[in-house]
Amino acid sequence: MSLENRKYLLLGLVLFTAILFTSRIAYMQLIDDSWTRRAAQIAEKRREIVPPRGTIYDRNWKKIVINQISYNLMVVESKLHDFDTLSFAKLIGWNESEVARRLMEIKENEGYYLNPASGKRESNFRKDRPYPFIKDLSLEEITQIAPHLGDYNGGIYEEPVGTRFYPYPNAANIFGYMSEVTRDEVERDAFYRPGMNIGRSGIERSYEDVLRGTKGVKFVVTDATAHEIKPYANKKYDTLAKPSPYLKLGLDIELQAYGESLMKNKKGCIVAIEPKSGEILTMVSAPSYDPNLLSGRKNIRKNYPTLNNNLHLPLFARPLQAEYPPGSIFKLLQSLICLQEGKIRPNSSFSCNKSVVGCHDHPTATSVPKAIQYSCNPYFYAAVRKVIQPNKTENNAQDAAIGLDTWHSYMSSFGLGKKLNVDVDFSAQRGGLIPNSNYYNRYLGKGNWAFATICSIAIGQGEIKLTPLQMANIAAMIANRGWFITPHFVKSVGKSGPRKEYLKKHKVSVNQEHFEVVIEGMRKVVYEAGGTGKQARNDAFIVCGKTGTVQNGKNKKNHSVFIAFAPKDDPKIALAVFVENAGAGGVWAAPIAGLMLEKYLKKSISNLETEDYIKNTSLVGTH
Amino acid sequence: MRTKERLFANLDIPLLVAVLLLIVIGMATVYSVTYNPNSPSIFSFGEKYGKQLIWISASLFIGLLLLLIDADIYRKFAEIIYLISLLLLIVVLFMPPINGARAWLGIGGLGVQPAEFAKISTALFLAKTIDQINLKLQNARTIFSLLIIVFIPSVLVALQPDAGTLLVFSSFLFVFYREGVSFDPLFLNFINSFRVVRFKTTWLGAHFIPFLFFVLIISLLSLYLSGSTYPFLGGSLSGGQLLCSIITILAVIFFVLIYRLGYTRYRKNNLFVLLSTYVFAIILVNSISFIFNNLAKEHQKNRIELVLGLKEDPNGADYNRNRAMAAVGSGGLYGKGFLQASVSSVRSNHVPESETDFIFCPFSEEWGFIGTFLLLCLYMFIILRIFYIAERQRSVFFRIYAYCVGMIFFYHVAINLGMNIGLAPVIGIPLPLMSYGGSSILSFTTMVFILLKLDSQRKDVLR
Repeated sequence: MSLENRKYLLLGLVLFTAILFTSRIAYMQLIDDSWTRRAAQIAEKRREIVPPRGTIYDRNWKKIVINQISYNLMVVESKLHDFDTLSFAKLIGWNESEVARRLMEIKENEGYYLNPASGKRESNFRKDRPYPFIKDLSLEEITQIAPHLGDYNGGIYEEPVGTRFYPYPNAANIFGYMSEVTRDEVERDAFYRPGMNIGRSGIERSYEDVLRGTKGVKFVVTDATAHEIKPYANKKYDTLAKPSPYLKLGLDIELQAYGESLMKNKKGCIVAIEPKSGEILTMVSAPSYDPNLLSGRKNIRKNYPTLNNNLHLPLFARPLQAEYPPGSIFKLLQSLICLQEGKIRPNSSFSCNKSVVGCHDHPTATSVPKAIQYSCNPYFYAAVRKVIQPNKTENNAQDAAIGLDTWHSYMSSFGLGKKLNVDVDFSAQRGGLIPNSNYYNRYLGKGNWAFATICSIAIGQGEIKLTPLQMANIAAMIANRGWFITPHFVKSVGKSGPRKEYLKKHKVSVNQEHFEVVIEGMRKVVYEAGGTGKQARNDAFIVCGKTGTVQNGKNKKNHSVFIAFAPKDDPKIALAVFVENAGAGGVWAAPIAGLMLEKYLKKSISNLETEDYIKNTSLVGTH
Repeated sequence: MRTKERLFANLDIPLLVAVLLLIVIGMATVYSVTYNPNSPSIFSFGEKYGKQLIWISASLFIGLLLLLIDADIYRKFAEIIYLISLLLLIVVLFMPPINGARAWLGIGGLGVQPAEFAKISTALFLAKTIDQINLKLQNARTIFSLLIIVFIPSVLVALQPDAGTLLVFSSFLFVFYREGVSFDPLFLNFINSFRVVRFKTTWLGAHFIPFLFFVLIISLLSLYLSGSTYPFLGGSLSGGQLLCSIITILAVIFFVLIYRLGYTRYRKNNLFVLLSTYVFAIILVNSISFIFNNLAKEHQKNRIELVLGLKEDPNGADYNRNRAMAAVGSGGLYGKGFLQASVSSVRSNHVPESETDFIFCPFSEEWGFIGTFLLLCLYMFIILRIFYIAERQRSVFFRIYAYCVGMIFFYHVAINLGMNIGLAPVIGIPLPLMSYGGSSILSFTTMVFILLKLDSQRKDVLR
């Protein structure tokens, strides 16, 4: 080889290197995308923007649920290099062992799972995921801490959390409350991150999807200390957070507050509905609590156990979940069915035969309205008997089965014996009980029962169970003379109007003329001598109502019930009042109903004496 | 007497254009990587791009001056230039260290690295020395004198310490080879002292340099393959055995195809050659693994293991390289666009030194494979053009200097790119004409403009 040719060795060396490098770069940039992922992991961060939760208004545009911001101190373990526990503990005003304990606690709270790959029990805790270290710091508290968080390289940072504030201390059972998402919820729904809040009950839960809004995502380029430098790719991939729409409720917060003040120191419910729209005007569950008690995790931790252990069950939403026998208010429905079935006529008369069932002393009911006015038990035994025993077959038991199922289908069309599907969490509602032939066949045995066996259903006792909401809905249905719209809270999500299912009129299978008979009876209840509901009377408008006195087993005071609507010819409000262990319907429920109707229709109270008496009387703790 | 017209007439325009283009690309990349939105003007002299612009202007001005100086002075004053640079390399060792290395000679806030210029002076002095040696009559003294010329600045640079520049000095060995400097006298002295056989020439001595690098590559390969077994011809072999077998097979192919066809009189030696190759390979491979496992220091072992992919430590020892490779790899085909480097911009600070030694990262992150490929082509064009220029010189001095420049360029590009794409360990060495920093820009411009000047005067040299 001549020296001249040695240049080819150098040439070869250069070309070899060039080819080697080109193929290596091509592999890295074009084929192997692990470096792209690595780069994204290093420098490109996905930041989520959670919009403020939707505001809730009442029917008169009063703000009833608004947001207040608090802060969580988040910790990401993988970013805590050389974590100085002592200085951090000083910063937040804890001592060192408390910090260590809290870190352990976060891990423990995440729980464990059995890794199928390794067969080992492994922690759900993830080092690269942020967890709330301290929750619900106020703005004042966080401003003490935040300026020093730069020392932790993004391992500890503050994150705003929306909590709720309720300007009115009412309607807790309607709104429900929010609490921190569980690990399962975080896994299931990409919207949530540890430390966020989710609606746990009431409207907060059923409208969670609407109220939480749409999260925005922005991609940012971060520096080595995890601080944002600039938007990634000129915001090409970013999506905007959509603020959630407001909710407008049919609720009248003033009426609600008034109802709660009347029900103070009593157990029971008031449910008021606007008959035409099915909007729930008021839903008092007594005893209740200030919803602010369960706003934010600090408050929940402090107050939830107390509320949960309270003997009078303030967390229990009675109007939706408690099932009571309706008592005499049921006679309104029995009248409607008997009239529609043609078993009685408006002027049918039955004697008050106290040997069949007990009754109080009253003139003989010579018509359906009078029977309602006097609430005559034997009258309705006789009338309902004709429906349940239609004499269609010889066999008494078979006949009763046929009759009961006819009767049941009417009750069903009134929205009884099944959930009404109000717009709160479906599982938190109850449907009550209207027995049919299957029911008695199951419990008493086929052929073992006839009207005589089950006769107490005629006066709304026995197996019959209704929720207070259903009772109010009956009043609305009668006020509408034969139809109802499923009661609901939310009048409109943003400007979109009511949900489609809350526009549908449910027609009942009773003709309108029969309603006029029953309504006349309800008027007599309130306005005529011998009527049981005179305490609900008002001279400014005509109230139609019906009392109920629910027998409640031996040694316990009866429940006091009253359902009503007003004004008679253009009903604006229908309501049910249920006061547990208070006595006769006319004594407690009727005057409360009267006050509620006047408050809503007249905005002022004429009978201050009654109001004062009711407000200041306690009915709890006496048994 | 030369006219002004002649002054630029013989300038090698392709090289000049390529170098200027590279400077522009480098300037743009420095601007992009150190971009500060608060002072976007390239003339913001408080920012690094403003400073780089000053350095580039100064370098080009000096380059222009160099074109006006007669090239003969480099030959005349090569010794003096060399000695001055050695003096500076000594002085710099007494300077306060910056980033752990005494590499900077501060001149009123501006720092220069004498090591950068030592490369030029050594190249010039070597060129002159080799030119004066009668290569047909080499002896141990001539070889030693050449080695010492390279060795002294290497030691001084190693004392800073500056591993990158030290490595670059070894590029001159390839120039020795091209010029026919043979290590034979050393080998012959050694072998003949045994008085058993007498050789007039050895293959090893003549081709010692490429052999040395071949051994180096084999060593790295043997380490890379070590530690696991590979299927081979039905059986399985350890990494070392596999490598020995492959070397032998290659040797067989080489001897059978080349020697047997070409030089029939060597045929009887074939078996001996094959056996000795195999024995040599086994000794080599085993001694490498012995040295690596028993003699190398822990951090040296670590670095080599990281490069060979035998170990992973993306957030510790391999922090820089891992992030640099992520930046390069995330470029894709088209890149993220000018000013869009998200991993390797200085502001994001994921890749330390991304404006200096790691400037290839932001470039390839922003311009993707297409840009990177074109940049590689530009570098290759410059290096090969310099080799071409070298080969067309009538003067040995000019040719050697040109080869030295070409090899320095090649080494810088190969090592710098290599560490960016995971083929070399992290060694601090700037990317020629692109990296931020005055010394690097100034030394490479000086180097290239001296070459351009020498080349423009090539026809003045009588054969």
